[in-house]
Amino acid sequence: MNEEKIKHLLAEADQRAGEPRFGPVSTAGVRRRACQRRLVWQGGPVAAAALVLVGMTLWAVGRRPGESQPPQRIASLEEQVRQLQAQNETTLKLVQEVLEKDRRDRRLAALEAQLASIPDPVKEIDRQVDKTAFILLYQADKLYKELNQTESAVRAYQEIIQLFPTNQWANVARERLSQIEQRRFNKSEGQKGVEKCEPRNV
Amino acid sequence: MSAMAKVCEDLALVERFCRGDDSAFDRIVEQHSAAVAALANRLLGWPRDVDDVVQDVFVAALVGLKKFRGDSSLRTWLVTITVNQCRRHRFRRLRRLRLVTPPDARAAESREPDGDRTAMDQETFARVRRAIRALPQKYREVIALKYLEGLEVNEICALLGVTSNALQVRLNRARNRLREQLGDLLEDQS
Repeated sequence: MNEEKIKHLLAEADQRAGEPRFGPVSTAGVRRRACQRRLVWQGGPVAAAALVLVGMTLWAVGRRPGESQPPQRIASLEEQVRQLQAQNETTLKLVQEVLEKDRRDRRLAALEAQLASIPDPVKEIDRQVDKTAFILLYQADKLYKELNQTESAVRAYQEIIQLFPTNQWANVARERLSQIEQRRFNKSEGQKGVEKCEPRNV
Repeated sequence: MSAMAKVCEDLALVERFCRGDDSAFDRIVEQHSAAVAALANRLLGWPRDVDDVVQDVFVAALVGLKKFRGDSSLRTWLVTITVNQCRRHRFRRLRRLRLVTPPDARAAESREPDGDRTAMDQETFARVRRAIRALPQKYREVIALKYLEGLEVNEICALLGVTSNALQVRLNRARNRLREQLGDLLEDQS
């Protein structure tokens, strides 16, 4: 098994797997994410430490229920516990808010991307109209140039002008009609000339 | 653009970023995001959706860019970060007990973008990808970096932090495992 064979096989398999999907990466987004991560990294240990301290304090307070603690010390410890609990709750709330905001932002970005991928219905209709007009023009051209059915072609061109008066292909149809008119005019003029010349030639 | 010019441009961008020019980071992201996504896709076994990893790579790059000394090229530095982030990503995924193939990867395998490919081709290449995905992480990394990223042996050694001998051993073992799985394909190709 030589290297080239493996390389070729793996490269083909990788290529056939398709392109990876990833959203747009912006400096602002990266900075926001870094900031959120820092908050979580810093907030987590603080919350954990606060919990441990609360636990230890409670354990210390309730360790020897028989022994009498000085009331001042108990009050002080209780105050510390309350402060730590408040601090803990604030930190956890902040972390939750940040995570919630991150989730909302990501959801919003996904929805915006989804919205952007939906084609504009007006544009889509315009495209279909343009396509239909082009098909009609193509068929009319075929009647005129390949099958020499000038009358049918004229009717088809007129139909295009009537149905799609503002479309670019209607302008082309008008040009074709004027060409046909011109050709007819030239032909009739030519015939008149021939008729006039005939006596002289005879 | 020559390799030297590219390295100089990268260093200039890092210098601009260190001086506080945020647009330099935008430029770095613009230049390297596709390559980072492709590498992450390969290292994670072609899940196709690599948005999280790409974001994490650039977060790590943003945090560490000021410490970038220019000992290696910016690309190599970003490849190192990508390898590490992919390891973290896999670890997190395993921690969540997602031991089966992720749905994205299965969906990616079942999707067929072009109609003219034969079913046999699809199955063959899906089999190759499955074989690579089944390799242990350290073997898959060396395979992806050597054969898919086209890095030189010394570059891989530097970014994985292993000696040349260790890398050769890993490569040999990875190739042997692939031979066990895909021996018939490699014979047929000749």
